[in-house]
Amino acid sequence: MTAKPGTLKPCDGYVRSMHIRTAVVLAAGEGTRLQPLTSYRPKPMLPAANRPILEHVLDALVDAGVERLVLVVGYRRRRVQEHVGPSYRDVPVRYIRQEKQLGSGHALLQAESAVENRTIVVNGDRLIEADAVSAVAETFERDTADAAVAVVERDDAGEYGAVRLEDRDIVELVEKPRTGNYRLINAGIYAFDRSIFERIENTPREAGELALPETISRMLEAKRVRGVRTDGLWVDATYPWDLLEMATEVLVRGRIAERKRQTGLWVHGDALVSDDAALRPPAVVSADSEIGPGSVVGPNVALGQNGTVGANATIERAVLGTGSRVGHGATVVDAVLGQHATLGVDTTIPGGPADVRVGHEVFEGQRLGAVLGDRVEAGGAVSFAPGTLVGTDASIGPNAHVSGHVPDDAEVVR
Amino acid sequence: MCGIIGCVGRGKDTLGTLVHGLEKLEYRGYDSAGVALGGAELSVCRSSGKIGAFKKVLTERDIAGPLGIGHTRWSTHGPPTDENAHPHLDCAGEVAVVHNGIIENYRSLRDELVAAGHTFTSDTDTEVIPHLIEDERDSATDPETAFRSAIERIEGSYAIVAVFAGTELLLGARNDSPLVIGLDEEAIFLASDVPAFRDFTDRVIYLEDGEIARVDGGLEVTTGDGTRVEKTVSRVEWDPEETGKSGYDHFMLKEIHEQPRALRQCLSGRVDELGGTVDLGDIGELRPSAVQFVACGTSYHAAYYAALLFESAGIPAQAYLASEYATAVPPIGEALVVGITQSGETADTLSALREADRRGARTLAVTNTVGSTADRETDHTMYIRSGPEIGVAATKTFAGQLVAVNLLSLATGEGETRRREIVPALRDLPGDVQSVLDDSTAEEIAATYHDAGAYFFIGRGIQYPVALEGALKLKEISYKHAEGFAAGELKHGPLALVQEDTPVFALVTGDDEAAKKTVGNVKEVEARNAPVVAVTDKKSDVAMYADHVLEIPDTHPRSGAVLANVQLQLVAYHIANRLDRSIDKPRNLAKSVTVE
Repeated sequence: MTAKPGTLKPCDGYVRSMHIRTAVVLAAGEGTRLQPLTSYRPKPMLPAANRPILEHVLDALVDAGVERLVLVVGYRRRRVQEHVGPSYRDVPVRYIRQEKQLGSGHALLQAESAVENRTIVVNGDRLIEADAVSAVAETFERDTADAAVAVVERDDAGEYGAVRLEDRDIVELVEKPRTGNYRLINAGIYAFDRSIFERIENTPREAGELALPETISRMLEAKRVRGVRTDGLWVDATYPWDLLEMATEVLVRGRIAERKRQTGLWVHGDALVSDDAALRPPAVVSADSEIGPGSVVGPNVALGQNGTVGANATIERAVLGTGSRVGHGATVVDAVLGQHATLGVDTTIPGGPADVRVGHEVFEGQRLGAVLGDRVEAGGAVSFAPGTLVGTDASIGPNAHVSGHVPDDAEVVR
Repeated sequence: MCGIIGCVGRGKDTLGTLVHGLEKLEYRGYDSAGVALGGAELSVCRSSGKIGAFKKVLTERDIAGPLGIGHTRWSTHGPPTDENAHPHLDCAGEVAVVHNGIIENYRSLRDELVAAGHTFTSDTDTEVIPHLIEDERDSATDPETAFRSAIERIEGSYAIVAVFAGTELLLGARNDSPLVIGLDEEAIFLASDVPAFRDFTDRVIYLEDGEIARVDGGLEVTTGDGTRVEKTVSRVEWDPEETGKSGYDHFMLKEIHEQPRALRQCLSGRVDELGGTVDLGDIGELRPSAVQFVACGTSYHAAYYAALLFESAGIPAQAYLASEYATAVPPIGEALVVGITQSGETADTLSALREADRRGARTLAVTNTVGSTADRETDHTMYIRSGPEIGVAATKTFAGQLVAVNLLSLATGEGETRRREIVPALRDLPGDVQSVLDDSTAEEIAATYHDAGAYFFIGRGIQYPVALEGALKLKEISYKHAEGFAAGELKHGPLALVQEDTPVFALVTGDDEAAKKTVGNVKEVEARNAPVVAVTDKKSDVAMYADHVLEIPDTHPRSGAVLANVQLQLVAYHIANRLDRSIDKPRNLAKSVTVE
């Protein structure tokens, strides 16, 4: 039998004896900066290579020995619930609804009734590994700490929740300091006991929101909060092009459920790859997908389930969502395609670098060809200027040249 | 009913494979179990009690063999004792047999065999089979000829697997009881149901009535007269994981939580969400002028609900208890006769369908089991696609039946306007069920009322069968006295039973005339100081008169019935759990009842 998503077997060394049985996964957030990809699904459901980020998170928890999963869902919650269902890899899943997305602390507070004693808490939208989960749980128990938090080293620590450690205790936790010399960040993997709920309730709201890191930083003075250094996989996606880096990380580390064909190449048993097509590792080809003759796919390509690549297409460094179609002779480089996006014959996405505008911010020199939302349709011979963002359900006529930002539902005729 | 399994080709793992299969089949019966392993001599081990008790007995024995058979029993003839546990042997101990079903002529056969000098050690009907084979072997040289002659002599329903000393041969036969064959690369399995060997293979062959399977190195299927039959190999689509508990405390709770997915599968490809159309293939071409539903237990409640749907479309329809229908067949006329049975093997439902068929009626089965007897014997089949259900108390399959009969009625009886109204509600149903599961406070209700003296459930119209089902579910797994009534009937008698310690669950959806009347009935109950739990979409003011509310999403009443039922499933589960009942295997009950 071929492995199906969600049945990744734990690798040696992942399984740890852990006494915390429950994990709360915060999976209610939208991820507005990831628009247009999050128009119809929450950030945890975006693809890390060819599987949702959330699946990787759940794998890490199950591999670490968690026996009860509690998912806090909110934005587009049905997408999560339909995908995960009543259990994940034989671990029962309970859902808690967060009606309004009022911060990570507020999200965790909703799960109070589902937590009996101690619990792991993780973000559902960042790639993590089982080792980090186990390490946090073990430290929390061994040191009888009031909380334990995973920390990772990042060059751009000032962009995240920056952390300062003294010995093994966290002495400072500050959101996006921008200044100061920080190297460590909060990796979003926590262990708490039930007292956390009262602490969250006693944390003053900021602009109506309750952020979990704010509660933790208020604990630092009087309580013992252990910082647990981890050096495994940790990837966040803030902007759509981050999904390309995320896919590369997943492929390079081989966190793929499909059957391995050769080093760095995974092809599902129900995928149809022409003998005359070339697959360049690393790449993954999901179930029920098809690649036509003469096409060159890879390196760093994840073709989602039911995806179709025609003949003589060239695809490099790309994430192609479920049901996406790439026409004959198309060139697709540095691109993210949403679900059921269609590229006509001889379409060109030549790749970055480019200056990309998101809202009022401009990101210079990003390696990005294009991001296409769900169900975008591009006709034959459309060319995309580097850094183009196309909104959901937009339709682009044949031979058009598009650049910048195409809004949702737009119709572009040349 | 009972569960049987046989396997060849598992080598040293034979015993483990059989025991694993029996655990998977335990839902079919659990009052005794046993195995027989082949070899130069047969080794047999059996005991009364559940599989767990049997495994303890096994640890004291050291038995092995390259092939074998196993059985888990639900008593029909003779009490659950060690002696009555299968497998049964002949006098010389050279053939061992496991059997599911009832041998109708066993008395005369037994008398005849006893007269011929055979010694019987049990009270079972099954034991005549090995002795018959032994008797035939005196005149026939090979086991297969003897087996065939024995099968020819028995009447009744059976699935039989036999193993013979000194051979590496299994022989299987079926008539009216299920027997499926599993094909692995190295091994071949025979079993009552696919979960028994699903961990090893997904390739199966469904044996037909009257066919005989010979399994040694390979597989040969023949008819009673020895003609070879070419069988098609099917693939089962569900995962082995679907037959495990996935970390839930009970199969029932897991299956309750599987309902959103099960309903999505039931709807998948059958409703066009945008066009508001329903596509059931050739079933959609039926235009019945009348419908008769036959079913038992929980399925009968689905049948009652189904009849209401057809009647509301102006098509005369009735629900019958299958056991009553089979013995007192009503005039059928031009009616389509629909049997609703989860397993497709419910003996009462099958005999009702056969009676209808004999009278020339067109028949249709609504079932969860591909290749089941009901599937094969009826003119049409509608699968509910709920996936395997192991808990004895039906949950997700009842929800699946309700959705399936909605589709049936929309496709064959109701008009365009109705479809446009109902299809969106059905489409939203999986998500709505998920909301109920996420938000239900049934556990708190159970905590408050788990020690009540009796429980009553009232509903009107489409909620009446839900009231019946709510009461049945509670009865089955909590062993508490529970009854469902049509809300308007309460004052005609049952109200005399209503007291301070008898909670009344009132099902009220919408705010139409029926809802208003039920609210009136709730007030009658409230006046007797009985606690009232309202299951409601809150469109009426019933919450004002209730002590507790179990809320369901606001949707079409036809979907509302499914949602209200989910709340009652949870109430029943949590009450039974508080009382520490054997939830997945309630006393005296079996998953599907293959005896009349």
